[in-house]
Amino acid sequence: MENILSNLKTFWMFTGFANVQLGHLVMIVIGCIFIYLAVKKEWEPMLLVPIGFGILIGNIPLFAGLEVGIYEEGSVLNILYQGVRLGFYPPLIFLGIGAITDFSALISNPKLILVGAAAQLGIFGAYAIALAVGFDPLQAGSIGIIGGADGPTAIFLTSRLAPDLLGAIAVSAYSYMALVPVIQPPIMRLLTTKKERLIRMKPPRPVAQTEKILFPIIGFLIMAFIVPSGLPLLGMLFLGNLLKESGVTKRLATTAGGPLIDVVTILVGLTVGASTQADHFLRIDSIKIFAIGALSFMIATFGGVFFVKIFNLFLKEGNKINPLIGNAGVSAVPASARVSQMVGREYDRTNHLLMHAMGPNVAGVIGSAVAAGILLGFLG
Amino acid sequence: MKRILKILLVVAGLGMVLCANGQNQSSMRINEYLVFNTDDYQDDFGQQSSWIELFNSSYGTVDIGGCYLTDDPNNLKKYPIPGGDVLTAIKPRQHVIFWADNQPYRGTFHISFDLENAKEIILVKSDGETIIDRIPVRKDLGENVSFGRLNDGIGSINGDGEGWGIMERTTPSTNNVTIDKTIKSTRMQEMDPYGWMMAVLAMTIIFLALIVLYVIFKYIGKYNIQQGKKRVAAKAGKDISEVQYGELPGETYAAIALALYLYREQSDLHDEESYVMTLQHTDRSYSPWSSKIYGLRQTPQLKKK
Repeated sequence: MENILSNLKTFWMFTGFANVQLGHLVMIVIGCIFIYLAVKKEWEPMLLVPIGFGILIGNIPLFAGLEVGIYEEGSVLNILYQGVRLGFYPPLIFLGIGAITDFSALISNPKLILVGAAAQLGIFGAYAIALAVGFDPLQAGSIGIIGGADGPTAIFLTSRLAPDLLGAIAVSAYSYMALVPVIQPPIMRLLTTKKERLIRMKPPRPVAQTEKILFPIIGFLIMAFIVPSGLPLLGMLFLGNLLKESGVTKRLATTAGGPLIDVVTILVGLTVGASTQADHFLRIDSIKIFAIGALSFMIATFGGVFFVKIFNLFLKEGNKINPLIGNAGVSAVPASARVSQMVGREYDRTNHLLMHAMGPNVAGVIGSAVAAGILLGFLG
Repeated sequence: MKRILKILLVVAGLGMVLCANGQNQSSMRINEYLVFNTDDYQDDFGQQSSWIELFNSSYGTVDIGGCYLTDDPNNLKKYPIPGGDVLTAIKPRQHVIFWADNQPYRGTFHISFDLENAKEIILVKSDGETIIDRIPVRKDLGENVSFGRLNDGIGSINGDGEGWGIMERTTPSTNNVTIDKTIKSTRMQEMDPYGWMMAVLAMTIIFLALIVLYVIFKYIGKYNIQQGKKRVAAKAGKDISEVQYGELPGETYAAIALALYLYREQSDLHDEESYVMTLQHTDRSYSPWSSKIYGLRQTPQLKKK
């Protein structure tokens, strides 16, 4: 009888109940909130469900030496986490993004590319703020990239510059991407006049197949020559797009843009979520990162919208751009383009901005990859 | 003809592979040497001899087995570095030491000449002809004073000594300059404590990169429109100035989108129309004899109110 009790006591010591701390419970609640937001509110469910469940997995209280935790070398979760830590999941996601992205809107009206450049102001604004609140340049660069509104890019850069902040930055980037419809509209309304919001843009012209094929090739060569440090992201993005547009690699494009990106998204979401263990995540730095992340999205939105207003001063009547598509310069595709459409229709129900907003939106993907390359070049 | 072309392509491909191998060896550099060794690094036999340090300046492993080291420009094959030794595969950005003790029978890394009598050190590719790197041997160096590249792997390879200097201390098998990974970020923090310079610089680069892309595709687009107009004009027998190309009103796009949506998503609507035959796909990809489908739960779908 004594033996049985002793064994039961030992077993009890192995359980999560005996090892639980307040931090674990807080993180489990956060994970549940993520899942709730994804299921009930449908905020980026493809990301928030795996991240939310990953948080649950990562915060089951374990005793040391069990070799199942994400930070324990050789464990299954640790092996899956290598894709995040070594940064090879993000380029694979970029391959898929390239394979499902249609650059036609951008090619038909190439000046919209510049809006995608202006919105990267969020990255460098957040970099300056992060420096001001006491982060070192490597950490500030990683925090700044949240402003690109691009989860894979944020993971890629952070894994190289400040791996300790990976969990907080990845969760922050993906959370704010889900919150784009909440963060952006007030800034868009604040910065624009009613007259500007009613601007009707020329419908996009048809784009020839040759142009679509040339775009990933020329785009890659120019970007990679200027910022070689962005090679893994830019190379995979443009390769994916070439697979799609070439018309002769349909199977590869379907795989890259479907099963491959889905598999990697599950793994990224799960492992990023699981990496947010209470002792790594519940720190003052994480709160600062979340606050700067929110500001970075606001600055990015400001940058895009304000740039369009300035740009319009130099454009002829009839060629002007509706500043409500300026917010789409961040690379949250297509969420921020949808926001442009949604806000635009509030003022004119027949003015469809979605197609126009897709131009800066996909330019934002390129812009944030270039920005990551620049940060890596200067700081890495 | 096609067959010949294919053969030529294969030959060219093989040639490129071989060249690529040659290029790997081209990344090797003579990085540092010590002539008079009295109180410095010892070899495995406990002896102090002259040494030569080679450095792999590339980011890939380079096998130097088959390359040559020599002190005689007229005899480029004086010391063949043995092949088949795993130790001759030099990892990226790593070093290897050769003992210039004129005792080659002591192993792969003991070469057949010494530096006290050498005028020059020459590293030669495995083809035995191409000189990868060369550097004259200075005899004016004191005991235990080495001569090396001021930055590992950087500087001339033609023997003029540019980028070389007397080392403060000998650094056999290690970097001549200690590289601190955080140096860039620390320097950036000193130069730009508030991040404004980074913001201006980076935004300028991003704008420049995307402006180049914009200009290129602006002109490609113009060319394409022109070609399209020409094609339409030729087809319609009109003048090119009369042709409107590619500008449809938004309503047209909306109508097309709606039609496509109805066709793809709600094709059952056609059942209501006359003279339209609708083929509806039915999933019967199972055999009724072995079907488990009725025993399985369907994937749940969230129902919206």
